[in-house]
Amino acid sequence: MNNNNSRGEEHQRNKESLDSRINQTLENVQGLLKGRSIPGKVLLTRRTDQLHDSGLQEQSPTYQRSVSHSDAGTSDDMDKSLEGGVRNTNNSNSNTVVNKSRSSKLKIEKAANEVQSSEMGTRATDSARVTKFSRELSGQTVILKRLRELAWSGVPPYMCPNVWRLLLVSSELSDLGIRDMHHLRRKRVEYLDCVGQFYDIPDTEQSADEISMLRQISLDCPRTVSDVAFFQQAQVQKSLKHILYTWAIRHPASGFVQGINDLVTPFLGVFLLEYLAGSTDSWSMSDMPSEKISDIEADCYWFLSKLLDGMQNHYTFAQPGIQRLVFKLKELVSFICLSDFSVLQLLPEPVYRHMENQGLEYLQFAFCWFNCLFIREIPFHLVTRLWDTYLAEGDALPDFLVYIFASFLLTVCTLASFVLNCFTSFHH
Amino acid sequence: MAHRVDHEYEYLFKIVLIGDSGVGKSNILSRYTRNEFCLESKSTIGVEFATRTLQVEGKAVKAQIWDTAGQERYRAITSAYYRGAVGAILVYDITKRQTFDNVQRWLRELRNHADSNIVLMMAGNKSDLNHLRAVSEQDGQALAEKEGLSFLETSALDATNIQKAFQTILTEVYHIVSKKALAAQEAKANASIPGQGTTINVAETSGNTKKGCCST
Repeated sequence: MNNNNSRGEEHQRNKESLDSRINQTLENVQGLLKGRSIPGKVLLTRRTDQLHDSGLQEQSPTYQRSVSHSDAGTSDDMDKSLEGGVRNTNNSNSNTVVNKSRSSKLKIEKAANEVQSSEMGTRATDSARVTKFSRELSGQTVILKRLRELAWSGVPPYMCPNVWRLLLVSSELSDLGIRDMHHLRRKRVEYLDCVGQFYDIPDTEQSADEISMLRQISLDCPRTVSDVAFFQQAQVQKSLKHILYTWAIRHPASGFVQGINDLVTPFLGVFLLEYLAGSTDSWSMSDMPSEKISDIEADCYWFLSKLLDGMQNHYTFAQPGIQRLVFKLKELVSFICLSDFSVLQLLPEPVYRHMENQGLEYLQFAFCWFNCLFIREIPFHLVTRLWDTYLAEGDALPDFLVYIFASFLLTVCTLASFVLNCFTSFHH
Repeated sequence: MAHRVDHEYEYLFKIVLIGDSGVGKSNILSRYTRNEFCLESKSTIGVEFATRTLQVEGKAVKAQIWDTAGQERYRAITSAYYRGAVGAILVYDITKRQTFDNVQRWLRELRNHADSNIVLMMAGNKSDLNHLRAVSEQDGQALAEKEGLSFLETSALDATNIQKAFQTILTEVYHIVSKKALAAQEAKANASIPGQGTTINVAETSGNTKKGCCST
């Protein structure tokens, strides 16, 4: 994208209204990270929405959230990947899943009963949202597109296991051969076979590489989200080892990479919600029947595989995928901080300059963000909420991460600049 | 005034901590820079760093210590961080023989990526776990002598020898650097320019640094 030109144009428009400047900047940013799908579509169009009601909307008015033009491309791609249990209507935006595929455990009656449950978070569970989800999930077919849009803004915790499975299974797991929930049951058997074949064998039958991989995994499992005691329970540790080792053996291009252990925990935390109540800290795996444990282990394995399928090159030699995203993050943040877009520029700029002057490299702090998908940066009970959005993004997730992290970084910079300003003015 | 003290130093030395995964590099760093130890610390992804200012033979030296991930996969990223490092502490775990056997690999790694004048030290960590010991102190000492490294057994948990390890390596680095500086000064002096200017600041700065409390 011709960055300089766009910025040049902006200079000329300096006298125009703030509205058009905002739009110009947003378009520039969109152009900057031009890709198959614009990961920041929500952030960007939301703002456009407020200013320009007629703006970019091309979609049906029933949608809660507007979608930018790039989205048509995404859903086309998605259509192609849908098979089997997923039906496409003529309308390219209405991907549907036959609803019988939902796990029988998660009937809507149960859902309705649990609405009153006290331990639910506030935002994702206000009754209007619950009603929307219930309506979406109770029909003959689930319209994935709408489910995604709802999930993007947060899934009520008790609906998470079901919604996450639908988001992962229905749309893009076709490449793993999973087409519906019945199929998933077969996949659970396949997983258990793998564990038997790879893990439950004597050391003497393992190669040196396999032994050293297992050693690394055994070293990292106890260091997984260590601030949540639940993950230290013996059974959880055992399941983690099974999942990670099986994944590593079946993904030899990367093998186990430190930090992937963290990525299993949101799946474990969510799928266990079907069986364990209360806060994560009070859970005990000894309350779980062993066949349920292996089901959950299998689901975690397949969903971890699915999540990482789109990010293979994040974990191969030299981790080029992450390096690329760190570079994009730097570009995006620099662009926002140095653009003429005064509202954004005003606050984070001093800290941005400071980072530049100190020679701080993005790789030094952002690498871990991409490697562990931000799990280490926020308290564990908030991770599920973040992952609702991750999973709703689907294939566009890697690029979308750039926007999440940029907004995080800018917020931190803004706060830091604010403190810095107060401090300096106090001293003057 | 106090907030300024930390910024006043005469030398900035970059030190890297390397060694196998799980030997305790991050805890050595946190023990030294923040006097903290955490049994459940998470694995290091990529690199992290922390600093501490200390006195070496009357000079304020700021040690910038880089903690690197131990896993092989991160080599490609972490090797870039050897650049500019004047010292490296190669850590192994006295309860895990393999981490000691891998010291050779780490030395090779350093020879390939680090400056050839880098000062090396080897630390056998977790000395508090004497009952689980798998590498004797003599073995450590013998290897260190063979490779020409200084050597200490340390424990980040009970803080044994952690200060001493950093003090030792930083002093060694300081000697090398000041020798170079002296040589440069002599060269200057030979060109008939008196080189006494730098010593004037010393008393002032060291006085200030003693008051510093931010980093402890």
